Amino acid sequence: MKKTLLLLGLVVATGPAQTPPARMVQEAFLADPGPLDFVRGEGQEQFIAQALTGDALVGLSAENRPVPRLAASWKVVPGGLDLKLRDDARFTDASPVTAADVAWTLQAIEADPQASATKRAALGDLKASGEGLRVALRGSRPAARLLTELWRVPIAKAGHGDMGSGPFTLLRSGTEWTFTARPGHFLHPRIPGLHFRLLPDEAGRLLAMRKGWLTIGVPPPQPGLAPPSGMTELVQPTLAQLVVWTGPGSTPGALRALAKWRGDAFPPALMGRAYAPAKGLWPTALGFPELDPAPGKEICPASLELAYTAGDSVLERQLQALAARAARDGVTLKLRPLEAGLFLDQLTKGRLALGVITNVFDPGPWSVLGYLEQGGDLNFTGWADPEALPLLAKLGDPKSPAWKELQALWARHPAALPLLDLHSVLWVDRRLELQPCALGIYMATPGAAGWRWRE
Amino acid sequence: MRLLPGLALWTAALASAWSLPGHLWHPAQPPPFPLHALLLAALALVAMASLPPALVFLAGPSLARRRVLSALEAPPDLVWALLLLAIWPADAGPPGWSAWTAVLLAASVPGEARWLASALPVEMPFPHAWGPEATRASRFRSLRRLVPRWLAARLPIWLTASLVAERVLGLPGLGSDWMARMEGRDHAGLAVWILAFALLWIAARPLEKAPA
Repeated sequence: MKKTLLLLGLVVATGPAQTPPARMVQEAFLADPGPLDFVRGEGQEQFIAQALTGDALVGLSAENRPVPRLAASWKVVPGGLDLKLRDDARFTDASPVTAADVAWTLQAIEADPQASATKRAALGDLKASGEGLRVALRGSRPAARLLTELWRVPIAKAGHGDMGSGPFTLLRSGTEWTFTARPGHFLHPRIPGLHFRLLPDEAGRLLAMRKGWLTIGVPPPQPGLAPPSGMTELVQPTLAQLVVWTGPGSTPGALRALAKWRGDAFPPALMGRAYAPAKGLWPTALGFPELDPAPGKEICPASLELAYTAGDSVLERQLQALAARAARDGVTLKLRPLEAGLFLDQLTKGRLALGVITNVFDPGPWSVLGYLEQGGDLNFTGWADPEALPLLAKLGDPKSPAWKELQALWARHPAALPLLDLHSVLWVDRRLELQPCALGIYMATPGAAGWRWRE
Repeated sequence: MRLLPGLALWTAALASAWSLPGHLWHPAQPPPFPLHALLLAALALVAMASLPPALVFLAGPSLARRRVLSALEAPPDLVWALLLLAIWPADAGPPGWSAWTAVLLAASVPGEARWLASALPVEMPFPHAWGPEATRASRFRSLRRLVPRWLAARLPIWLTASLVAERVLGLPGLGSDWMARMEGRDHAGLAVWILAFALLWIAARPLEKAPA
């Protein structure tokens, strides 16, 4: 009784936070996005902030097709693309977006040693030049690939890495981020804005959704959890996978065993709707056929060690299920949690026999090339094959036959194997109309600018 | 603790922060320092530094054996934060910084009071037999020696308690900043944190000297 009275006293004594304006979309970041920076900014939350406050040259629609954004039109030319910029695109200081801004952004990402690694990987050796509203993009990558990767690089004003031309402006105030719609923007945002708080704790986020303080939220990955009455559940099939990398000392037999176990190790009752066992070697959602890894007769060793990043309770549960499945085949799968920084350090130095990371692929087949290319962002263990080089040069088109040959080559001695396909599960206020997308609700074009409140 | 060994320890901590091993896959920029939380943290620190000693001064070493203190001390920080969030009226909107202070105090004061009360010397038969004035003087002298060491030892623990409240209530402050710099391998930011702790320790040393 005394405790209850004390708690009630606490509630009376503590004041509420400032209530944000009505009809703003109330959202939660899972981590601090850091300062808005179109050159150095990295991470999912930072990319959401950039998608709201910036415009890429070419966007991707909800169906993953290239659509005009800053570029009103484009033409494929030998060595790249020629684009014509919109004449009504303006930065937040009202200055027009020109070819000089495009060239500066791409050059800054290439030259700055602290620039976003994701954007560097998306741009490769691409160079921009031009004048006024005409931009020439030149590089070694095929135009079809460029068109599916340019969405990752919103354009900043020359010399101002924190200023974009997007449909919303950002105001950070202490612990809150407010994105306000820009009335004259060419995407014509139909919501007044979005208001984000930082809610990394699952239980806190769940309570906030149940109290009606969030319009959109990521629920904890517990099977059987139902959204509150005012919200509906949205499941987006993303291109994210939980992938196990193999290092020195692991045998093809271990990979084949993992490929066998993944099929029945993860019962739906344990995983919920956000996860499904992966098939094949590369994401089947990108059109790749299902291939078995490393054909051969070597048997799986009796004991395997699988490292993962500590502190992720969902991942731990999944790997425990995998270990239980391995035990049924008489294999001891030892799970080794490591701090995230130490994990990556050991993985890249070849000190882990098996290591698990979640990777999000881009919606184009070229995103798997990170596994194969020297210095690729997924090539942690230095995978190489002399037969791969000539095939890599023939991947100008998503339907090129070289893809099949390349996948067969990878399947002979793969360095990685997906265990699970991840879906994005969101709870959304029933009154808000938005379009699900493989890129997530923010990254596609028009993204949040296309949302509207149902009257 | 003597100055030189203490300084050596802090220097080693500083070197560890600066050379923290490992790197991130996609390193992100560290978040800006939460300046907005400094004043609130200072006020909460004053409350945390004064409430338990005041309670112990009034109640004496017997406070360590009170059942009510055990009952209040038992729930972890997370439970206090979630409990407050659960009973918070939905119409009132998300709770603010005053709620964070309340959670921090509710989660920490009982445990801190017990810690201090347990460390006090026994008062029976003396100084109890010499009267209340002698007892109060004894408690005051003991607390004067204890409090600086207690503060230096408990600050990192309070920072952790603050982190829990910040995460659950969605109010990033100093605890989140410390954790974000650790996770993001912000060596310079971590070193500044360690330096701040070291300076606090150095500033608290004169208070440890026994009264003449």
